[in-house]
Amino acid sequence: MEINGKKYKAVVIGGSAGSFSVVSKILSKMSPDFPLPVIVCMHRLKHVRSGLVEGLNLKSKIKVVEPCDKDKIEGNKVYLAPSNYHLFIEFDNTFSLSTESVHNHSRPAIDYTFSSAAYTYRDKVLGIILTGANKDGANGLKDIHDKNGTTIVQDPASCDIDTMTKAALNLFEPDYILTPEKIAEYLNQLAS
Amino acid sequence: MTEKVENIAEIRIFLRELKKHSSYDFCDYSDSSIMRRVSKILNDNKIDMDQLITRIRTDSEFVENVVQDITVNTTEFFRDPWMWKELYKNYLPSLKNKKIINIWHAGCSSGQEVYSNLILLNELGLLDKSRVVATDINNEMLKIARTGVYNAKYNKTFDDNIRDVLECGEMSADVSVEKYFDISEDDGTIRIKSFLRKIPVFKYHDLVNGDIDSIKFDIIFCRNVLIYFNTSLQTRILQKFHKKLVNRGMLILGNHEGVNGFYRAKFSKDGPVYIKNSAYTFQF
Repeated sequence: MEINGKKYKAVVIGGSAGSFSVVSKILSKMSPDFPLPVIVCMHRLKHVRSGLVEGLNLKSKIKVVEPCDKDKIEGNKVYLAPSNYHLFIEFDNTFSLSTESVHNHSRPAIDYTFSSAAYTYRDKVLGIILTGANKDGANGLKDIHDKNGTTIVQDPASCDIDTMTKAALNLFEPDYILTPEKIAEYLNQLAS
Repeated sequence: MTEKVENIAEIRIFLRELKKHSSYDFCDYSDSSIMRRVSKILNDNKIDMDQLITRIRTDSEFVENVVQDITVNTTEFFRDPWMWKELYKNYLPSLKNKKIINIWHAGCSSGQEVYSNLILLNELGLLDKSRVVATDINNEMLKIARTGVYNAKYNKTFDDNIRDVLECGEMSADVSVEKYFDISEDDGTIRIKSFLRKIPVFKYHDLVNGDIDSIKFDIIFCRNVLIYFNTSLQTRILQKFHKKLVNRGMLILGNHEGVNGFYRAKFSKDGPVYIKNSAYTFQF
């Protein structure tokens, strides 16, 4: 998929406190035939195994799945990082999981998913960071920025808690600062 | 400035040197996991890749430390409670007519899941006939497993999980934590009671190259270990497990791990368990 002369391979989204409703909103507004894989890493309760993927599937027009280790990454799918694992994108366009120690008190850690996306997809990835109460994800999004990927930070004024977005804004200047509605619009414009 | 390894060719040189100067072969670990671990080693030791390779060639104690760092894996009591509930209610009871139940925990790390399973076996009255071998490549983790003493930070998770799991059982709705653990009032560390601690044999074993006992197992646990391996090594390890299981024996993997490739047809998935298909018994 090409936009502004750029061919994207994936969209990665990270969020924490307050992000469930934002991710739901974005997915509900996205075109059902959105061609890219959308990889979502949200901080979540590790003992609540089910519910999140079901909840997102109720709203999403694109199928939401929790990937298994070594699953191939396919377009027109939303992948949700499973509870209590870190989620990485591998060079051969597959996922891998890990139970390495928590990072920023989190597993899954958004930094890890974002950094591996930056390394694998380089400038061909779109990274989005949403509302959240810690700084996880900021460094990973900066990695995407440093590799000339496209970065979007949710407008802190529209965040339940703006710690995460402000941590990112302190590190670098993203390509866009957008409200959830505008993020969905931007993604659909990629798909059209 | 953090040192990040982004050159896979450098990693390959490092892995070849490590293989040459130790008994360890990490060449079939998945690329990104090995890169992360090596980046961490460089940062923790404040060295670069050239210095790392030089030290690998010259300092055998350092090699051991590097290996421990690469192979460390987190674990906890009753990780994924739903899986343990399934085992407790539907799978472990099916072993009650066996004279001896042979169990192998492959890649047991610090042993929490070994003890988790022993608690369930004890609740089911199967502890006396259980023979448990638990192996890992990381000697530091094995030391912790043998002592059965765990930090306070495990306590809350343990408490939530054990109640969640045991409350689903028929006979043991009201199990107290003290039945299995001594909890220190000073620092909150928890110590496994000796009647459980004396059962498992914890020993060093390299899943990639080593050989395990000649007996066959009724259950093999290998949870969240294969995720660090590439698919060809995963297949080799699955072959080993297949060979080491009795017919209809159970293989228990991590929540989001699967049996792929050649061995997919040789196991049937049943709930959280992969069961060795007797119809496809092979001799290797």
